[in-house]
Amino acid sequence: MNKGKYYPLFVAIGIFLVLFIFGKFAQGMWEPVALIMFYVAVGEAFNVFLGFTGYVNFGYVVFMGLGSYGMALVVSSSSMAGLGPWILIPGFLFAAIMAGILAAGVGAIALRLRGAYFAIATIGVNQGVKFFIEGAKIWGGSEGIIISKPLKVALGPHLANAVTTFWADFLVFMIAILAAVITIVFLHTRLGYGLIALREDEDAARVMGVNTTKYKNIAFLVSSILAALVGATAWCLKTTYVFPDDVFALSYTVDAIVIVMMGGTGTLLGPVVGGLIYGILKYWLGILLPGFQLLILAPFIIIIIILFPEGIVGVLKKRVRGKKLEKFIA
Amino acid sequence: MEFLRMFSGDLINGIILGAVYGLMTMGLSLIFGVLKVVNVGHGAFIMVGAFIAYWMFTLFGLPPLLSAILALIVGIALGFFFYYVVMKWLLEAPELSTLLATFAIGIFLAEVAKAVWGPDYRGYSWNVGSLNLGVTTIPMAKVYALLSSIVIAVALYLWFKKTRAGNALRGVVEDKEGARVCGINVEGYYALSFAIGIGLTVMSGVFITLFVPVGINPYMGEVYTIKAFVIAVLGGLASPWGAFFGGFIFGLVENGSYAILGLIPGVEPFSLTQCLAFAILLVLLLLKPEGLLGKK
Repeated sequence: MNKGKYYPLFVAIGIFLVLFIFGKFAQGMWEPVALIMFYVAVGEAFNVFLGFTGYVNFGYVVFMGLGSYGMALVVSSSSMAGLGPWILIPGFLFAAIMAGILAAGVGAIALRLRGAYFAIATIGVNQGVKFFIEGAKIWGGSEGIIISKPLKVALGPHLANAVTTFWADFLVFMIAILAAVITIVFLHTRLGYGLIALREDEDAARVMGVNTTKYKNIAFLVSSILAALVGATAWCLKTTYVFPDDVFALSYTVDAIVIVMMGGTGTLLGPVVGGLIYGILKYWLGILLPGFQLLILAPFIIIIIILFPEGIVGVLKKRVRGKKLEKFIA
Repeated sequence: MEFLRMFSGDLINGIILGAVYGLMTMGLSLIFGVLKVVNVGHGAFIMVGAFIAYWMFTLFGLPPLLSAILALIVGIALGFFFYYVVMKWLLEAPELSTLLATFAIGIFLAEVAKAVWGPDYRGYSWNVGSLNLGVTTIPMAKVYALLSSIVIAVALYLWFKKTRAGNALRGVVEDKEGARVCGINVEGYYALSFAIGIGLTVMSGVFITLFVPVGINPYMGEVYTIKAFVIAVLGGLASPWGAFFGGFIFGLVENGSYAILGLIPGVEPFSLTQCLAFAILLVLLLLKPEGLLGKK
């Protein structure tokens, strides 16, 4: 244990700070910066589970979607309660609880089993929840929930406007920092060591006394709740509506996979670097070749998996081993 | 009485659809059984088959029974292509890699289909008369789908059990190293099973088109991926024959529940039956992850 173990966290926060200042003061750059930070946060949350356990959660987007619904339900049901901006706290709390309950349920069943079975279970969870909302016609069914009016009632028109244009994105920055802190804590505690051990060899980890099922469940829960917080702010608060077709779109799971694989799984800076590059790439691709992003990204995933499974930060970490820079990269 | 008549009609349809579901899942189970790879992009190959049927029918008027043969050939070619370009490099990699790679293949196929055919739903109808069973009438097209599925499953079974290649393949499944020592080209059989698995899947997509009332589109595969997973787990995941019988069970449950869920007022039974697949999957994984027919 050395004091330098938190240095990579400062690197990450430094990158966020530079982005924030650039977005705030460069003309017209706030939206692209907000998009980049959204991808960084999405990647970090996904990495907490995939990076530390080696299990893929193909239903990742469902937790972002549920978080979005959680916020929308709180804002639309208690806009008259006179809470003012404090309404966001029960909103985030409810978002986290909804995602937490689903994650605990799915995890309790599927995480007792090995990777393949877990992947099979998660590939259905997104469709399952979406079809349930549409089929049982709860929470507005396929029409979704629009919160622009209740948000104005709760916060006043001026503040509501500020939330959608600035504070929603600002909160994404905060969640990204929270996710980075959690990642570094994972990297340097018993829990993280146990998870990395089970990622490398689950049987061996179990023999060594690691409670693999419990550890996997904790990582899954944390990752899902972080995803819900991102969904609650970046979707619900920013756009002021929640449509099932938008918030359960498979493409966000693809985004998360590309970001984490490209940046480097199980590293702190991986999702930050991955999200940064991916955000810029996607912004450009969206302008140059609208509608073809996924067509290009899919082969890209395969190339990364076959040729650079360690990702950018993984390769970088090897390069700086034994040099001065080593303690800044993790 | 009216309900009972409808319900039994749904069950008969369930059995017929179940045979196609079984065929649809055999490829998934074969690939998992031999390569220990879960093909997360499974549904996309079904979509490819569906578009082959649609295209052949609308362009050349080729009936689905004939385009099924074409689909099998295209599927086998696709299988060899993706095996040598992607899967071959990942056999020794962690499970994560193959899961992500097959996922990416699925997305890629769906996006190619979108670029070629556009995102809208399309459909065709192959009208060859119908069979009156009293409680319900069944289009002959579906009867042909049922018969073809059974014939294909039996043919695969015979190939697996009676031929030299089938025996060798069983050897590979049983003990990879042992098979290698006996002079069996293990990598060759990996490629062959992947190709046959994909071929069967693409072919099943042709028959699926006879059962979809809303038509087909590039993203239709996702739903079938989930259904195939449920069926594969029902049948024990690694057994193509288990999968075939799992298909019947799932077809019955799905169509039966459609009639029952329709009795609840204020819900949309179609969406809820889609959600049911996932619910069944969770219950199965909780109670009997080795499959209904599987051994502990």
